Amino acid sequence: MSSHREAPSISKDPVADSTDTYAWVTANNTVTIITNYLPSEVPAGGPNFYEFGDDVLYEINIDNNGDGLPDISYQFSFTNQVANPETFLYNTGPIDSLDSPNWNRRQTYTVTRLNHATSATQVTNGVPCPPCSIGRRSTPNYGSLAAAAVKPLTGGGQVFAGQRADAFFVDLGSIFDLGTLRPFQGAHLIPVPGVSDEGIDTLRYANVHTIAIQVPISSLTRDGSTPSDVMAANAVIGVWAAASRVKGSVLDGMGGHSDAGPFVQVSRLGNPLFNEVIVPMGDKDRWNAVTPDQDAQFAKYVAQPELAKLLPVLYPGVFPNLAKYTKDRADLLAILMTGIPGGIVPGFQNYTGTTQADYLRLNVAVPPSSSPNRLGILGGDLAGFPNGRRLGDDIVAIELRAVAGATIPLVDPSFTPDAAASALEDGTFNPAERINLSTFPYIGVPHSGYRVPIGHGQAT
Amino acid sequence: MGKVTRRAFLASGSAGAVAIAGVASGGFGAMGLMAAEDGELTPEELDAVAAPMLLHVRDAAAGEIEILFEDQSVVVTDKTLVAKVLRAGK
Repeated sequence: MSSHREAPSISKDPVADSTDTYAWVTANNTVTIITNYLPSEVPAGGPNFYEFGDDVLYEINIDNNGDGLPDISYQFSFTNQVANPETFLYNTGPIDSLDSPNWNRRQTYTVTRLNHATSATQVTNGVPCPPCSIGRRSTPNYGSLAAAAVKPLTGGGQVFAGQRADAFFVDLGSIFDLGTLRPFQGAHLIPVPGVSDEGIDTLRYANVHTIAIQVPISSLTRDGSTPSDVMAANAVIGVWAAASRVKGSVLDGMGGHSDAGPFVQVSRLGNPLFNEVIVPMGDKDRWNAVTPDQDAQFAKYVAQPELAKLLPVLYPGVFPNLAKYTKDRADLLAILMTGIPGGIVPGFQNYTGTTQADYLRLNVAVPPSSSPNRLGILGGDLAGFPNGRRLGDDIVAIELRAVAGATIPLVDPSFTPDAAASALEDGTFNPAERINLSTFPYIGVPHSGYRVPIGHGQAT
Repeated sequence: MGKVTRRAFLASGSAGAVAIAGVASGGFGAMGLMAAEDGELTPEELDAVAAPMLLHVRDAAAGEIEILFEDQSVVVTDKTLVAKVLRAGK
């Protein structure tokens, strides 16, 4: 998955486990940033439905000067309220509004905007999260109920935090079965005759918990401007999410705990799949604990990615040119760790300098595309990944193709990619009903527990 | 005596005694460690350590102790204190 359960430690701490981070330019000179938590929520997860951690500090970080450290942070802190501790029920009747007396356990949150050079400002507080999508009796009219949880931010912009449908799509069951891509499984090292070549989207009916902000471009750039020159350095921002826990915690043996000390980072997410498929098992937890300015230590895994060595083995004879390529992958180092300099892709750059740091790099001077291509820049659409990341970008296909060598000629014209490199995908496609591009927060309303029984397809 | 902040208290040079008091409030009171060199804590000092405080022996050989309180972390070096804590825990 993009970053669902991607490291040993964080896989045991789902409320702090970031699954995906998105950042793209939206209408009216704004940037929308979404970061998701709680991987693979089963919609019918009652009676204790999913919620953010009230002991977790969630952050969206912006680096606007290329040093790998945050210059702007939006910090989210959640608080739980239980109306009636004498019932086991999440709700005691239909929840038809965010202040419904029938809703027993709810969350509110505070957002603080931190300018690391100057000050911290609380830009909203007491904002309600919508309830989880339970079913047609408990949460009727869910769309309008959740829409009421979109609130303005002081200084401009809007915010939402709550359950949504997971917009990521991937065939996990196949990929983690020894790197099988169902559309190409006939060429796999271990043949399994008589099975379908159609991809299966494992996350098709999974929910996540979303934190989304939409803020003016000028509130994120280094000089407070709204750049229009794509080739200007001030047009590029780095974006990543992080989650932190208090350093010390002692269980009191009575169902409670005592916490003390500063917050320490336990999860982060910039480029999709970076920690998942590039960083090896022994370094994954450390990667989650450090800030992007320390990412040079992981550059060796980008320069010689394990997956690029596996592909020729798992698909014998399909990647002969990739198998012979032994140079460091300057293409991947640029895409993932410094940004693409000017002169590589005509009319585009998202270069942040020589500091190697894993985060999304968004050139805010590139306007939104009126006809997005799911392959982003690989598909000729400069508004898509790896220029930031949109909800519909086909990350699995893009990164598979890049790792397989499709992007090597950008920096090494002597290399000819194997024919398969430009065709790789896992057979899953953009889930249109999980994305609503007309209305913030754009990511689809969550699947309802009533309609999605565990272990089955969608019920009616 | 005015109000004592935790930061000021810990920085006052009696960090070892504070650390012991913190541990005591966390359940180690039976160890009898309250009789530190600086004597018992004053009411004002007790106010300053009323919230949870955690002590982490980070490096016993170096006598390095990390004290966690509120949203702060303070590292002190006190081999004698580490020795007392370790022996009391046996």
